[in-house]
Amino acid sequence: MFLSEQDIEPIARRLLARSRADACEIAIRGGEEQNLRFAHGGATTNRSLADISLRVSSHVGRRVGSVEIASLDEGAALAALERSERIARALPPDQDYVAPLGPQNYEDSRRYGEATGTLGMEALAARAGEAIAQGMAAGVDTFGCAASGRRFLAMVNSAGLFAYDRRAEVEISVTARNRADSWSGWAGENAFDADLLNAGAVARRACEKAAHDETPRDLEPGRYTVIFEPDATAELARWLLRALDARATDEGRNFFSGKRGGEPLFDAKLTLSSDPADPLAPDSSIGFEGVAQRARPWIDSGVVASFYRDRAYARKTGAEAVAHPRGFHLRGGETPIEDMIRTTKRGLLVTRLWYANMLDPRSLLLTGLTRDGNFVIENGKVVAPARNMRFNASLAEVFARIEALGPSRRAWSAFKDAGAAAAPAMLVEGFPFASRSAGI
Amino acid sequence: MGERKQPEIAPGAFALDRAGLFDLADIAIDAARRAGADYVDIRLGETRREFLRAREDRLEDVGESADAGFGLRVLRDGCWGFYGASTFSRAAILTGVETALANARAVKPIQPREIILETLPGVEARWETPFGIDPFEVSVADKADFLLSVNAAARDAGVDYCLSTFLAAREERLFASANGARIAQTRTRVEPRFTITAVDKASGRFATRDSLAPARGAGWDYAAGCGLVEEARRGAEEARRKLRAKPVSAGVRDVVIAPSNLFLTIHETVGHATELDRSLGWEANFAGTTFVKPAMLGGLRFGSELMTIQADRAQEGGLATIGYDDDGAPASSANFAIIEKGVFENFQMALGQAHLIGLPRSNGCAYADSPRAFPIQRMPNISLAPNPERCSLDDLISGVDDGLYIIGAGSWSIDQQRDNFQFGGQLFFEIKNGALGEMVQGAAYQGRTLDFWRGLDGLGDASTNELHGVFTCGKAEPMQLAPVSHGAPVARFRGVRILDTNAAA
Repeated sequence: MFLSEQDIEPIARRLLARSRADACEIAIRGGEEQNLRFAHGGATTNRSLADISLRVSSHVGRRVGSVEIASLDEGAALAALERSERIARALPPDQDYVAPLGPQNYEDSRRYGEATGTLGMEALAARAGEAIAQGMAAGVDTFGCAASGRRFLAMVNSAGLFAYDRRAEVEISVTARNRADSWSGWAGENAFDADLLNAGAVARRACEKAAHDETPRDLEPGRYTVIFEPDATAELARWLLRALDARATDEGRNFFSGKRGGEPLFDAKLTLSSDPADPLAPDSSIGFEGVAQRARPWIDSGVVASFYRDRAYARKTGAEAVAHPRGFHLRGGETPIEDMIRTTKRGLLVTRLWYANMLDPRSLLLTGLTRDGNFVIENGKVVAPARNMRFNASLAEVFARIEALGPSRRAWSAFKDAGAAAAPAMLVEGFPFASRSAGI
Repeated sequence: MGERKQPEIAPGAFALDRAGLFDLADIAIDAARRAGADYVDIRLGETRREFLRAREDRLEDVGESADAGFGLRVLRDGCWGFYGASTFSRAAILTGVETALANARAVKPIQPREIILETLPGVEARWETPFGIDPFEVSVADKADFLLSVNAAARDAGVDYCLSTFLAAREERLFASANGARIAQTRTRVEPRFTITAVDKASGRFATRDSLAPARGAGWDYAAGCGLVEEARRGAEEARRKLRAKPVSAGVRDVVIAPSNLFLTIHETVGHATELDRSLGWEANFAGTTFVKPAMLGGLRFGSELMTIQADRAQEGGLATIGYDDDGAPASSANFAIIEKGVFENFQMALGQAHLIGLPRSNGCAYADSPRAFPIQRMPNISLAPNPERCSLDDLISGVDDGLYIIGAGSWSIDQQRDNFQFGGQLFFEIKNGALGEMVQGAAYQGRTLDFWRGLDGLGDASTNELHGVFTCGKAEPMQLAPVSHGAPVARFRGVRILDTNAAA
């Protein structure tokens, strides 16, 4: 169920008026979306969805109880309100209690378009059909998912906060596999504006990567010059951003603990930021707990510029509450990926990463694998598919060894995920691969 | 319609208006059939959750949620159409019928091969997770006290940080199909957890220790009685020992793996590898495929003779224990060997898959993580059978000259075809000359699935068996999160590559 600001206001006001707590917060979320999946060039599952949720948080004597229901029905909402008060009263008082957030000035985040938000299943089937046709033309098998929809979030409280944010999105991702099932390629794109998404072009990229009949080369594990395509760069950046946790840093529990402010920790080419007005990857204007998101550098020319912290920890430490961004932008450079390839004597081109997981937050040691489009570069040319490999790499080292960055573009983040990302292709020296994988 | 006798469920365990929801189901099925659906099924219900998080001596977050709705699935002209909504009303149901049928028409141009379904039995049944104390009936104050006492135990044992959580979930589901199935089920599960962090301010090092107590299909009595407070005390001491422990020496070694770690290895290397939808390529775009192919049924030597991996939906406490799956297939069909004495024998299947490999019907492995979600193939409980002969942990350790004993699940990662894996752990002890030695830290084991399982050469008996599990195994697009348990005895594997994560970068 998709609701406007005007729909929300009377519902929230009515409910707040019925609260008997010291303070009350209401969050309403919902949306309409559809997706369809295909495999071997034919449809598998699909779904249209209309959902709604209402969360009521009651503050009673420095205690907070929350209840969430999947309905805006007045009787159910009042019962949730009453129950949240009852939960709050049963809890011990909280020494770090924070009162509800007051009014905020939110910037405009341009992530909504009616036409994109109301695309129907036929439109998705047409886009999937374009992808399947590309696969047939290229002689490869296609697998993928197309999705679209629109969602909103509203936060209203008794301290005067009124927040409303909405977004509409469309996406397609395609995995192509050659007919011998011995090689694969992937490409995916999502956009806030359906006019910017060319499903055929996305599929063509996946199919070109997959259309290799030669046996993939088995490389020796070890250090390689690696060119990460933007989707892979964004995945690495997402892990770095997650590590910028003020509390863990203060408590001695991560890479940044004990490091001096202003000290360059990464290559000077690394600038990571978030901004609700970012043209490629606009962040949500409403952060976690309702805190307004502003344009913010996280890492500025290799130097850490911001950490995120929740309101309770901010209050405790006398610092500013900073929400973890939902969208981010790793600033690009000026080296086209073709030039990176041309100047690489021996290296690897990596399309996509898979199943990354933090092994050691102290050294930012990340493990994971390459997937769906790993290629050997020799003497300035992409010469052959290379079998996938596992890496165990410190992000601190990776982002200290940036040799070149391409222009940034919108990078993949699935519809339901944390938000938009923009990143460039990135050339890194001495990236460590630990072992081989037979997984194609 | 409306006069059908409804299955009875004890009051309290199913809070929704069953008769009203079955009436809505009848409306949906009748309307969809009249409009030309060849098959139709519907899931209606609610998932109730309660969540508490305590950090040190502070309760950070307390809340409960009820996520309700229905999901209507139609097959028309060989195409699926699906609609899900969070509203229970006749109008929403009729919108659902219309939209699901329209979706089936919309995908027809990209449906070169018709979807073919087997007919599952149209049973009327009810089922509910047996539990002692209903977690939703225990006061939130008691649960808060419980978590704060876990954190206090860790603090008193000398560590600075302890984050503990308690999660309870209850799924109430009605399933009805055009085959005449009318099934009402309630499953209840709980997950008590902690993460302890010990920091050595002088050296700047820190060590964490996650709880080993498993999530279970059970009530509050299990959570309160699983020894979490005592484990926090012990865990704090172990975290402090980890701070001082020497790094593991890297190399190819023999390992003895405790059930608290091995369950996740079973999940990743066997559970996911033997899902038929992955083998058919249906998950190729995200969750991945598998190195296991239909032609390997009955022929692939997956592991040593000691390896028998059994699926079930009947184990007490199992997170995937239930009476019927989300296609309406009975739990009894999910009682099968995946690996029998080292040989791959069965895939896990959901509705509409079996005929693709020449089998008559699903083996009961469907799950939808919300009443609004499309049911897909998900794991039942999947367990490594213990050794029928007597064999203890000491027996296994005594057969190792130079190796490692691994306890608890740590960081994990595996490729999308389930071949190359790397798993960490919580606690590592050297094994020297057949005896347990000192604690080491920073280990992970890396391997290839078949090599690893073929290296299984020692298996504990039932006295070493433990049932562990995960609440949130991810699969599909959009991602669905499934709960599943894995039982395992302690086991020994030869020639496993050990990494030192202190030096791996």
